[in-house]
Amino acid sequence: MTTISSAAGQPAVTAAAPPAGRPDVNRRKLARMGWIFAAPALIFVAGVTIFPILYSVVMSLRNVNATGNGFVMTGVTGANYSALIHAAVWRYALGFTIVYTIITVVVELVLGTAIALVLERLTAGRGWMMALLLIPWSMITVINAELWGYIYEGTYGALQAIFQAIGLGHPNILGTSTPAIIGMMVADIWKTTPFVAIIVLAGLVMLPGDIYEAAEIDGASGWYTFWHVTLPLLRPTLALAVMFRVLQAFGLFDLPYVLTGGGPGTATTSLAVLGYDAMFKNLDFGGGAAVATSTALLVLLGCLLSLRTFRVQVGKENT
Amino acid sequence: MRTVTSRRSIWPRSRRGLCIAAVAATGAIALAACGSSGGGSTGSSGGSATSGTIVWSASPIAGSGATDTRTVLIKAFEKAYPKIKVTLVSASTNTDTNRATLATTISGGSSTPDVFMGDVIWPAQFGAHQLALPLSKYLPASYFGKFAPGLIQGATYKGQVYGSPLFEDQGFLYYRKDLLAKYHLAVPKTWEQLESEAKQIQSKAGIKYGFVWEGDSYEGLTCDFMEYLTDAGGTVTNSSFTKATLDSPAAVRAATFMRSLITSGVTPNAVTTFQEPQAMNVFAAGQSVFLRNWDYGYSYATTPATSKLTTSQVGVAPLPTFQGESYPGYSNIGGWNLYINPHSKHINLDLTFIKWLASTQAQDILAEKYSEIPTVESVRTSSAVISSNPVLAIVPKTRLVPRPAGTPNYPALSTAIYTNVNAILAGSVSPSAGLAAAQNQAASALTSTSGGGL
Repeated sequence: MTTISSAAGQPAVTAAAPPAGRPDVNRRKLARMGWIFAAPALIFVAGVTIFPILYSVVMSLRNVNATGNGFVMTGVTGANYSALIHAAVWRYALGFTIVYTIITVVVELVLGTAIALVLERLTAGRGWMMALLLIPWSMITVINAELWGYIYEGTYGALQAIFQAIGLGHPNILGTSTPAIIGMMVADIWKTTPFVAIIVLAGLVMLPGDIYEAAEIDGASGWYTFWHVTLPLLRPTLALAVMFRVLQAFGLFDLPYVLTGGGPGTATTSLAVLGYDAMFKNLDFGGGAAVATSTALLVLLGCLLSLRTFRVQVGKENT
Repeated sequence: MRTVTSRRSIWPRSRRGLCIAAVAATGAIALAACGSSGGGSTGSSGGSATSGTIVWSASPIAGSGATDTRTVLIKAFEKAYPKIKVTLVSASTNTDTNRATLATTISGGSSTPDVFMGDVIWPAQFGAHQLALPLSKYLPASYFGKFAPGLIQGATYKGQVYGSPLFEDQGFLYYRKDLLAKYHLAVPKTWEQLESEAKQIQSKAGIKYGFVWEGDSYEGLTCDFMEYLTDAGGTVTNSSFTKATLDSPAAVRAATFMRSLITSGVTPNAVTTFQEPQAMNVFAAGQSVFLRNWDYGYSYATTPATSKLTTSQVGVAPLPTFQGESYPGYSNIGGWNLYINPHSKHINLDLTFIKWLASTQAQDILAEKYSEIPTVESVRTSSAVISSNPVLAIVPKTRLVPRPAGTPNYPALSTAIYTNVNAILAGSVSPSAGLAAAQNQAASALTSTSGGGL
């Protein structure tokens, strides 16, 4: 329910660049045709994304009862939202999701940039390295999670066997709060760092070579060049990577669902897990919709904030 | 292998995966519905119709292919009623996924599945949301009288019976017969005795663990906790489900003992991530003296394909209780009921089908072929059934306690129990602080008007 659609409003592109010299009438005709051709797709997109999103917003503002004859909605109420604010478990899930997002995204960004810098220098075998790197990213998250589950498992898991072999006892990673959270972050970072690396690499390759030549002639050190030339130029690319990652990390669901079910206790209950439980376990559709809606709003806000930090607009290169 | 909520035992699904699964399942149901059109259900009195096609949604029970329990039951039914066809829709083995699919399908107005197999803890929630037909409006009191005591009470919500019990399940103590004999120890009758015997055998026989059970943050932990809690004399709510009673000394005693099993080394600390399969596998690999599990535990632990152990090594007994309480301890009730979709267009056929599943013939198949605990009292106590399997033989000796599922907000109530008890087991909070939090959440779950809130 945190899907953000940006597909609407694109058809105008067909009319945006008419052949030079055409009269204005023609242009408007072209625009109209563009809209007509795009209409079925637009209606489809509206049907499958915009309608459910709006429906979920409406549900979050009403008393919803799931019955044998569909949803019965009564009144207009803020009760679903006030229940959220008063629930310790929601406040915890919010804090956990935010901290989890910040830490994983920052680590992924640092590691991903470092890997991209190495990859850019590689001449032989870059294709192979990239293919290898992309394996974790290309695997489905639930399968990743299952694999990490085998590593972390407390009685036959790989990690506890290693710990035991070197005399460090039995770590119960998924069954203890802080290790469970860290273990989940490690699994996430392992999977998504390659994604950040590929995006940053694409940005690096696009950077103009003459600037580096100029820096070299001016006698700038490698480190200085990185901080004062590469990073500022990479800003739009990094902003894009951060936005993708924040959107995804904030919707954290697969890893806790497979690895811990939100436990131990509620230590790894993310907002998405909480919303799922409210809807499909408790059949509390109003509460679940309120979790989903507030999460979507918060992640939008988070993205705007992060874009602001990078002071760029997506798509506007080289600011 | 059937489990209570086997999040990790089957293929876990992402949220999107779930939606796809739900859509796929709905599609399959819709196709099945097309196939069933034209099945005219005739006859007026409950369960006497003779021709048509109905769709049955059920998660796997046991067996596979031609020996799949559901297929075997359907074949036997179709032989008895040649004009009625039953189409099987295989539901998820994950109870929560199964419930989500059914709730969205039925509340969306779908007339199929006609009959669905659902958890024993669903009647209040499904009854309150009108997702199941009140069977007591269609079937006479004498029909419900033939089931074992307590089962119909568990399927009742606000005076109406919503589920017809298909087979029952309950907690058992599995133990290493060979090891107890070797060290001249008796089958434990108290939890304290179990703990000390486990410790002795662990040190003497060099076996890794003493006692494994289900301690993950999920429904199964509520089941296990109910057993210790009831043994200690505690309850979760008052009898009318209006007040939570989890902050009692009995509850503290229960939780403190469970935590002490871990701190004393009898139970591995990883038990806080154990569901049925993990606990089962540790025992079946010969790494634990005792195991708490459901009725399938015996055949699983004595089948060469799944276990290193043999029938000469595995014993089964009722669960122990706390010192000073009368033996045996309480076993939590699990199992499955049959429900009818209120939108079904073939209610008479549905009733015929569920009545047949409560017949001696069907219940015998479940008990003798698959070692499931029959729900019909006469079958359960018949000598043929009792002699067919050591687990069924001790069923009459156990004491049962249901989960507090008489409120439609039971899922939220159970979440309050298992998340907090799991945190106690992990050592994140003290037993009294954890139970205070559980009490708080349970109280708001009971008073909520919208499914128990968060």
